[in-house]
Amino acid sequence: MISHPVLPAKVYVLIWLALITLLLLTLGSAYLRLGWVNGAINLAIAVVKAVLVMIFFMHLRSGHYLLRIVAAAGFFWLALLIGLAFTDIGVR
Amino acid sequence: MSAAAGTPRETYLNAGFTLWSWLSSVDHKRIAILYAISITGFFFIGGAAATLIRLELLTPAGDLVSADTYNKLFTMHGVIMVWFFLIPSIPSTLGNFLVPLMIGARDLAFPRLNLASWYLYVLGGLFTVAALVAGGVDTGWTFYTPFSTMFSNTHVIAAAAGVFVVGFSSILTGLNFIVTIHKMRAPGLTWFRLPLFVWTMYATSIIFVLATPVLAMTLFLISIERFFGVGIFDPALGGDPLLFQHLFWFYSHPAVYVMILPAMGVASEIITCFARNRVFAYRSMAYAVLAIAIIGFLVWGHHMFVSGQSIYAGTVFSILSFLVAVPSAIKVFNWTATLYKGSISFDAPMLYALGFVGLFTIGGMTGLFLASLALDVHMHDTYFVIAHFHYIMVGGAVMAFLGGIHFWWPKITGRLYSDGWARFAAILIFFGFNLTFFPQFILGYLGMPRRYHEYPPEFQVLNVLSSAGASILAVGYLLPLCYLFWSLRRGAPAGPNPWHAKGLEWRTPSPPPTHNFASIPVVTEGPYAYATPEAAGD
Amino acid sequence: MTEAVITARQFDDAQQQRSASDLGIWVFLASEVLFFGALFAAYAFTRFRYPDAFAAASRLTDVALGSVNTGVLLTSSLTMALGVRAAKLGARRALIGWLAATAALGLVFLAIKGGEYYLDYTQHLVPGLNFQYAGPDSRQVELFFYLYFFTTGVHALHLIVGIGIVCTVAAMAWRGVFSPDYFTPVEVGGLYWHLVDIVWIFLYPLLYLVSRA
Repeated sequence: MISHPVLPAKVYVLIWLALITLLLLTLGSAYLRLGWVNGAINLAIAVVKAVLVMIFFMHLRSGHYLLRIVAAAGFFWLALLIGLAFTDIGVR
Repeated sequence: MSAAAGTPRETYLNAGFTLWSWLSSVDHKRIAILYAISITGFFFIGGAAATLIRLELLTPAGDLVSADTYNKLFTMHGVIMVWFFLIPSIPSTLGNFLVPLMIGARDLAFPRLNLASWYLYVLGGLFTVAALVAGGVDTGWTFYTPFSTMFSNTHVIAAAAGVFVVGFSSILTGLNFIVTIHKMRAPGLTWFRLPLFVWTMYATSIIFVLATPVLAMTLFLISIERFFGVGIFDPALGGDPLLFQHLFWFYSHPAVYVMILPAMGVASEIITCFARNRVFAYRSMAYAVLAIAIIGFLVWGHHMFVSGQSIYAGTVFSILSFLVAVPSAIKVFNWTATLYKGSISFDAPMLYALGFVGLFTIGGMTGLFLASLALDVHMHDTYFVIAHFHYIMVGGAVMAFLGGIHFWWPKITGRLYSDGWARFAAILIFFGFNLTFFPQFILGYLGMPRRYHEYPPEFQVLNVLSSAGASILAVGYLLPLCYLFWSLRRGAPAGPNPWHAKGLEWRTPSPPPTHNFASIPVVTEGPYAYATPEAAGD
Repeated sequence: MTEAVITARQFDDAQQQRSASDLGIWVFLASEVLFFGALFAAYAFTRFRYPDAFAAASRLTDVALGSVNTGVLLTSSLTMALGVRAAKLGARRALIGWLAATAALGLVFLAIKGGEYYLDYTQHLVPGLNFQYAGPDSRQVELFFYLYFFTTGVHALHLIVGIGIVCTVAAMAWRGVFSPDYFTPVEVGGLYWHLVDIVWIFLYPLLYLVSRA
């Protein structure tokens, strides 16, 4: 597992282009009047961007599987915090 | 393997005698000793606060200290005991010392980070002691808003800063343990051959890493809110004080599992050794440890049943709180089953471990009463809650900690202590503890509220019993200081394995050399290989 | 695998050392997710209760500067990733160049952020200092801006630390410490940098894009 394969520089640039495109997408879609769907789109795009950064820039894909579990655990635990707290605030 | 008396052998204790060699050491064993000294100091500061509390409560009138001073006493007792004694106690002392030895490693994965953890602990402690010396804090260890952010006239920010800093000490220790246990086990030491103590260190570390950051940010939030006079917990702005409680308890409930899981690990090590038996149902014990750690993250709302939280949330958290009792109960059954048909001896560590199992059971069961919504309405903020958590934290965690100290003292110091005095102290502590805290269950059920320095006269008898118990408990805690320190000078040399225990830590001299093992052992059998034909000659 | 790497005495070999460093930094990143996560939870709680106030408040942020800054940070992640790649290839000059670019972009982000803070100050949007808002739900708009300054402030602190790390790593690269067999500090620094980027990726829509329609 020790070394990740060296990706061609082109791959990183392509991912960067995807990230910038997603940025423009999230910014542009914010100007459409879609109610709560705006927020959903923005969050979804943010998740996609974060996942792209993690897989390609942070080499999660080629790393040891334990690292993916650790990364997922962090976000999952945050979801637990927000989700369970919302059983209170969402219903009060 | 053990040296004859008088022959100088390189150990971690004589590898450098200067103070600087200790303060700059990255040897996990020396760092464990540094922690042990610091937490003992804090234990006695927290204990001093407890002494004043129990003295005040001897009489119904609030006549020893003012109400404000009393608030500061129970706050500092809680802050110091929780964050500067209990949470670091077993992980940072016994865990630091034993984890590398138990897995056959030469040190933790990041020795310098380990030393940094201790310095963060000391720095946090300094902030908190500064708050204490400057006049104390009166918010309760729970720092509830809006009192802590808007109305308290005490040194909240200093205390919060101290806890913030010590939190990072925990996070880094947890990180170190997780990496060490994953990556540095000796050849042949698979996960299901690990001693249960290592499993509990691992689960505790997961809690450290995932829960403590939330506390850190929450303390930062109240500090900024207090400093600038504006913030998200302020009801006048539409902020929600319950938001603070959710964030605070998201950490502070798992924190109590940080306090008990290592104690459970110690108990497993001691009970197997002194019953000369494998632990009953090892895998379920390991899974139960993980289950406690994970489910423990899902129950925090049971501290908020009467806070104004929605009934729906109350129900969800109540059900989950009942659920978390299941793996704990499984462990209690399995320890009991481990004793069955064992060859039991009642050395001091075993007395502590047996006391732990019984007192933890009582504490755990009373937790179930509190998990039940209807009962908690009656008992929230009464002495019932105080008795419940002291049964777990003192009757459970502190007893196990003392048991662990007594079990591994020969390994850590190379000396044997007086068995008679040790057993006497254990029994005295058990007796003193129950006299102190059992009356508090009754007091709470009868309606005596917590955090008040005066009470109706009909509660006096029970309070006097409790304070009497506390005085016995205090003597009990001072005794080990005496005979353990005496043993450092006059105790008989311990060999590598005075208890004939299994476990890799017993396969190296007492005290161990700096590099732990002359050659890294290769593991070929599971843990607790007692009561097997091969063990007969050991 | 050559033995050109110095292996610390607690490790069996360079591979174990490398593996431990990787796991260590990821565990730390998970803790950072929870550290910032508490703020995201506070934001979610408060926005859920005051959706209109948050929408109005968000419109007062400077979406142009915020969007440019997002682009800056995303680009800095690219340069950082290319730097790690250069380290892996043993390209010392390229590595130093990419690290310098990363740090520079970080400084650009901070400069723009500082500019935004100044604009907010002139518009009386700083709670605890000079907050004044004439519209409806002014108290909850103040809550939004409290969270805005708090989250971006903590993020900026992390970014400053990140710039410090990148500069330190660049100095090590200058001294020739790294080789294709050993570039752990570059990798670890890179992972931290990407985390700071990811935090911003989530902050950006939550602060700037709540309601632009």
